[in-house]
Amino acid sequence: MEQFDAAIIGGGSAGLSALKKLSDLNKSAILIEAGNQIGTKNVSGGILYSKQDPHRRIYNVEDVFGSDFASSAPIERLIKKYFLHATSKNKIFTLDITALHEYKTNFGYSILLNRLNPWLAQLASESADKHGGGIITGVHVSDIQWIEDKTIVKTNELEEFQVKSIIAADGVNSEVAEITKARQKFKPEEVYFGVKVIIKLPENIIEERFHLNSSEGSAHLFAGDITLNHVGGGFLYTNRETLSLGAVYHYGSLLSNPVTPSELINVLIKNPLISEYIKDEVPLRNENADLSKEDQLKVQLSVSKLIKTYNELRYKYFSKNNVELVESGKFTNIEEIRSKIDSIKQDLIGKYGVQFVNNYVELEYSAKLIPDGKRCQMRKPYYRNILFIGDAAGRGIFIGPKIEGLNVGIDDAVRASIAISRSLENNNFDSGYMGSYYESLVNESPYTRDMTKIDKDYLTLFLNVVRNISMDSIDPRLAIGLRLMKNTRFRRVAVGLANILGYNKILPIVESEQTYVRVPNLLANKLGNIVTSSYVPVIPTLSERIAKLQYNDDSEPHIIVEDRRSEFMKKLLLLCPTNCYSYEGEDVILQHEGCVECGSCSIGTKWKHPKGEKGIIYRYG
Amino acid sequence: MLNVGVIIKLEPDFSEGNVSYNSDGTLNRAETKNILGPHSAIACNAAFYCKVKYEARISIGTMGPPIAESALKQAQVLTDAEELNLYSDRLFAGADTLATAEVLKNGIGKMFGENKIDIVFSGHRASDGETGQTGPQTAWKLGYTFLGNVIGFDIDLGRNVVIAKRLISLQGMDIIIEEIESSLPVFITIDPSYRSIFNTVSQRLAANKFRKEGTKRSEEYRQFLRVFDSKKLDLDPKRVGLPGSPTIVYRVEKIPRAKTNRKTEVIDPSNPNTLSPLIAKIIQIVRGE
Repeated sequence: MEQFDAAIIGGGSAGLSALKKLSDLNKSAILIEAGNQIGTKNVSGGILYSKQDPHRRIYNVEDVFGSDFASSAPIERLIKKYFLHATSKNKIFTLDITALHEYKTNFGYSILLNRLNPWLAQLASESADKHGGGIITGVHVSDIQWIEDKTIVKTNELEEFQVKSIIAADGVNSEVAEITKARQKFKPEEVYFGVKVIIKLPENIIEERFHLNSSEGSAHLFAGDITLNHVGGGFLYTNRETLSLGAVYHYGSLLSNPVTPSELINVLIKNPLISEYIKDEVPLRNENADLSKEDQLKVQLSVSKLIKTYNELRYKYFSKNNVELVESGKFTNIEEIRSKIDSIKQDLIGKYGVQFVNNYVELEYSAKLIPDGKRCQMRKPYYRNILFIGDAAGRGIFIGPKIEGLNVGIDDAVRASIAISRSLENNNFDSGYMGSYYESLVNESPYTRDMTKIDKDYLTLFLNVVRNISMDSIDPRLAIGLRLMKNTRFRRVAVGLANILGYNKILPIVESEQTYVRVPNLLANKLGNIVTSSYVPVIPTLSERIAKLQYNDDSEPHIIVEDRRSEFMKKLLLLCPTNCYSYEGEDVILQHEGCVECGSCSIGTKWKHPKGEKGIIYRYG
Repeated sequence: MLNVGVIIKLEPDFSEGNVSYNSDGTLNRAETKNILGPHSAIACNAAFYCKVKYEARISIGTMGPPIAESALKQAQVLTDAEELNLYSDRLFAGADTLATAEVLKNGIGKMFGENKIDIVFSGHRASDGETGQTGPQTAWKLGYTFLGNVIGFDIDLGRNVVIAKRLISLQGMDIIIEEIESSLPVFITIDPSYRSIFNTVSQRLAANKFRKEGTKRSEEYRQFLRVFDSKKLDLDPKRVGLPGSPTIVYRVEKIPRAKTNRKTEVIDPSNPNTLSPLIAKIIQIVRGE
């Protein structure tokens, strides 16, 4: 049987960081990824942060992948502005919270994981090659067994092999955790449920609309009536030539008041501020209902080709790379591209009755569970010779507008690599040696502190941001509270007391319908500006969204429903983001083909990832 | 060290959109794109399997005009070959399969500094020739054991033998898979159904490494390329090209077009009137008429 020093299970940004770090520590490691290519199974909000702390070490992405990360990696935009929008129908109250975003931040880039992770993989793979390791894609780990002093990894695709240590980086629905029973499945109240769409918008239009300099971006959070009375909110991040628009809610909150995830997106799209943000001029075909079917088809075929050319040219024209069309010799100058676009447009209008209307263009629909580190981080993130990192360890920071996950996974990855490297050097993989050491390293991380204690400096900053808002007419109790908190001495005592009580006692008060729904709603209502939208977005149906997704179908379902009549399974009829569950008589049955592997049903099912190469293939992530 | 040779062929790309025919139905070679033949590619995959599993060295050879080096380049991507050999001489023109085999035999003899080649792979047939004779004839000339229709194989380096599975399908009989053991050297033609399976971690890692290396090497493939004319191959001019070909071409049949169930008609999409017949047909099909 083949034997290796370390196996990393899962090729997301945390797993790839572990491979890079272990290789840089001159250790041989293999990374096993179930997707046919790196990045195809990964979804994130997403902003990738690099953070700093005056007292404790943080391991950032640039520490692992090189100081030229920002100039070499396929990142989207450097987030320079951060806003929180309170919504109430057409009223919006906007708060500039850039100061909170900048708190202890080196940088924060918007990213798309299917672009970033393959780049991380290339660098990690180059380092791993030098030490006899590497990345193996299309392989699904099905079991881990300990026989005598041997740790044996079994997969669906390869002969079993032996390892000395394992890093579990297989995400929030970690099968390694399930196999080993290292932790319980996360409970609904311990995770967030996120749903996202990628929206196409030309590069230059993004910069003009969001008032951005080249390569810079902005982030926007939304709370209030757009939450449909759930604890959580919406987000919109500017990417290079797309927007990430999503909603993140406490899963417990969604379970108590189920709503279709796509509807959580739709309500955001319908908000006038957001619909104006995502607006684009989109060709709308004339239905020609008065024509015969034959003639309708005729026109459709002619128009398709012209619209394709129009879109390709237009997106290129409104991008930084528009000069490529001139350099390639297709056009003599930029103006000529513009006039070609105009002439195609005139043809479409004049000859085929196509209208150019305000609408928006959706590219990809995705969903995932996100661990709420405050509630579910593993206190002992190890089991035997397995170390859990990132989402698999339930680690992520979600405190109001402080939303960090990717950077936490990277920091964990480095700490796990250091622990494994030490064990390899001393040939000791006992949990008391390797696992405990990793636990101590994780506990030293400022991120762990963020997941366990209230940061009074961050709170002070938050209070500064909200200091000019007159809360008296909105919530007198909150107003008194805020006024008291402005007093430094009172704040110190209050934070101290809160930290003694612990997050468990404080969270139900801080993270509630009151803070996420009622207060923002009232704020917008009383203090907000009226925003009007110039159009009504035509939102794709869920079927249309699913039809755009790419899958490698597995004939065998990777999920088995355990109790077909449980209350939980009944709620999934609404909560499954791709509508995989339906009734057959009184039984809830599964049709797994459209599954996006988010794990929202994992609590009530025997849930596994699909076999290697099978299942969803995200193009943006 | 296992030395593996692969015999490949540059062939017209018969896939839709790439092949071009003259008005009389014969192949328009000037307009048709040329690629590494699909059966040659499968032979390359078998050689790559030897590289991954047995750390074999790979040498690729082809007979053809200078343009055939593009097939060698494509083969290097698939195999990460250490050596590319082009056997090119005007004297080779008009060769039948036997005369081709003569060139290939001497070419194989020159691989790896005349070190003996343990296994030679070739495709099952060429897509523009279809005779399937070149491989067996080259094997015969080399004096190697010939194994045809091989769908899988393993090599026992200790015993210096190959254990191969052959797919035998004869009309009117059940399909037979024959397992056969043969001492090296052997000449193997690979069945189109062959698939390389890498089912250990080490094999996957090695395959990844060699694939990357192959792609990198192919970017500078000329560094690996050696061109041989008849002299360099020590060939007797009487045994190559037209003089060396006993086949007498009595009559040339037109190359039949690939069978297709569809007919293509180019329609100008900007003119709705030209679409009428098409729409009528679509409606006919939709209605199931």
